[in-house]
Amino acid sequence: MATDSILTLAGVVAGYGKLTVLNGVDLRVAEGSITTMIGPNGAGKSTVLKTVFGLLRPTAGEIRFRGQAIAGLSQRALLSLGLAYVPQGRNLFPELTVRHNLELGGITLGDRKRLERRIDAVMGRFPRLLERADAQASTLSGGEQKMLEIGRALLLEPTLLLIDEPSIGLAPKLVGEVFAILRELRESGVTILMVEQNAKAALAVSDDALVLEQGCLAFAAPAAETLEDPKVHALFLGGGLEDGAGGNSAQAE
Amino acid sequence: MAEFVQLLVSGLATGAIYALAAMGFTLLWQTSQTINFAQGEFVMLPAFIMLSAIKLFGLPLYAAFGVSLLVSALLLGFGFKRLLVDPMIRHGVLPLVIATIALGIFLKEGVKLVYGAEALPFPEALPQGIWRFASVSVTVNDIGVLLLVFAMVLALQGFLSRTTTGRAMQAVAQNPDTARILGIDVPRMITYTFLVNAALVSVAALLITPVYLAKFDNGESIGLIAFIAAIVGGFNQIRGALVGGLLIGVIDNLSGAYISAAYREAFPLLLLIAVILFRPQGLLGRAEERRV
Repeated sequence: MATDSILTLAGVVAGYGKLTVLNGVDLRVAEGSITTMIGPNGAGKSTVLKTVFGLLRPTAGEIRFRGQAIAGLSQRALLSLGLAYVPQGRNLFPELTVRHNLELGGITLGDRKRLERRIDAVMGRFPRLLERADAQASTLSGGEQKMLEIGRALLLEPTLLLIDEPSIGLAPKLVGEVFAILRELRESGVTILMVEQNAKAALAVSDDALVLEQGCLAFAAPAAETLEDPKVHALFLGGGLEDGAGGNSAQAE
Repeated sequence: MAEFVQLLVSGLATGAIYALAAMGFTLLWQTSQTINFAQGEFVMLPAFIMLSAIKLFGLPLYAAFGVSLLVSALLLGFGFKRLLVDPMIRHGVLPLVIATIALGIFLKEGVKLVYGAEALPFPEALPQGIWRFASVSVTVNDIGVLLLVFAMVLALQGFLSRTTTGRAMQAVAQNPDTARILGIDVPRMITYTFLVNAALVSVAALLITPVYLAKFDNGESIGLIAFIAAIVGGFNQIRGALVGGLLIGVIDNLSGAYISAAYREAFPLLLLIAVILFRPQGLLGRAEERRV
């Protein structure tokens, strides 16, 4: 397992100003997997992604991508190493067209011809984006917008995709589509580290699960096992099993 | 009718110059949340740079304009961002606003100290003369101003929408966090907008100073009108700033001639009040989302 980790965090401490959110996170993401982080609100799931992508600077600990220490690198450097990040919520440039949103995803390429080819490749993968190529991003439906965000993150052909709450605000049918896209990406060799509130659906498409609690890794296990685990079920997957009475406050938000 | 058309054209021409300052104002706000209350002084200063270049080096006006473009880019673009905006924006939008007010006073008083309080004559930037179409006569200067400003607006819009750099600048204005995630060099794009603003105020100075003469306190009215034009048009739209500037130029001119010359400066403010009451996002603006 240790040899095929694409990403490892060891004792990572990070937060916002004086507020420490991650209290020494240790975790590994296996190459070629979909790994989903679950846990109550405030456990630090999104903060892990932000810290890995250099938006927060860890005050202690180590982050390695393919063995290389990456803490403190610029986004440009991380992108060129093969990381990409799709944050939570709306992340498009609403007044630019679909094509121009994609173009900016590849702005660090520098090579116009290669950029055009990559844009064509992404549009080939998501025909809907090709149809709407010249429409303003703000006119896309919620599902199309998420597709565009993912497509844009794929423009540099990343090997590790960090994605935060891809299903938020989407209709159930679209949630399935987004997870299917992630599954396809995994088949084509992209490793995915995902944060998802919709834990049941996310774990169903995941290989591994990481459970975070209060800024620490509580435990890591194959996703299938985690789905069966009655304690996880009670705490994070909401309902179904009987033993969670009163212990559900963390999930209530 | 003939008089009306004349007033309309000259109002549009003055408004077009205001629009240059207003567009720069809007650009700075969009990309860097800088509300530049020294924008009027930013139009006043290049006039004195040009006058100095003419006096000291004996340059013709257009060469002096080239000098002022460079000096403005350095001082009002790069220097302004590095020395004032970057250190102050960390403390928030309001401290930065206060700092720009201070900068405006500093520039005004500095110019007064060096050049005195008298209005100095300024050479005409465009050919003079009058064109007559039937009973309507318009000045060549006004038409020249309008053509020049529209050429600049087209060039600016073209740059922002048709080049990758321009689109990256728009991206920074629309969503800086995402721009950063994609590896867009956000600080550099912001610097570009400050340089664009420096160019806009330099051109505005070249065109307006022959009318107002070069005076240390010219920035007061120009800055106020640019601010009003930006709000009237929609604070987040360059097109809006253009429309706002033109509208105020026309209203100012027509109300001065037909309603009251003494109160002409009040009419743009009435427009401002009306817009704030009935269409707070501005004529072309979109309601701004507040992100937390």
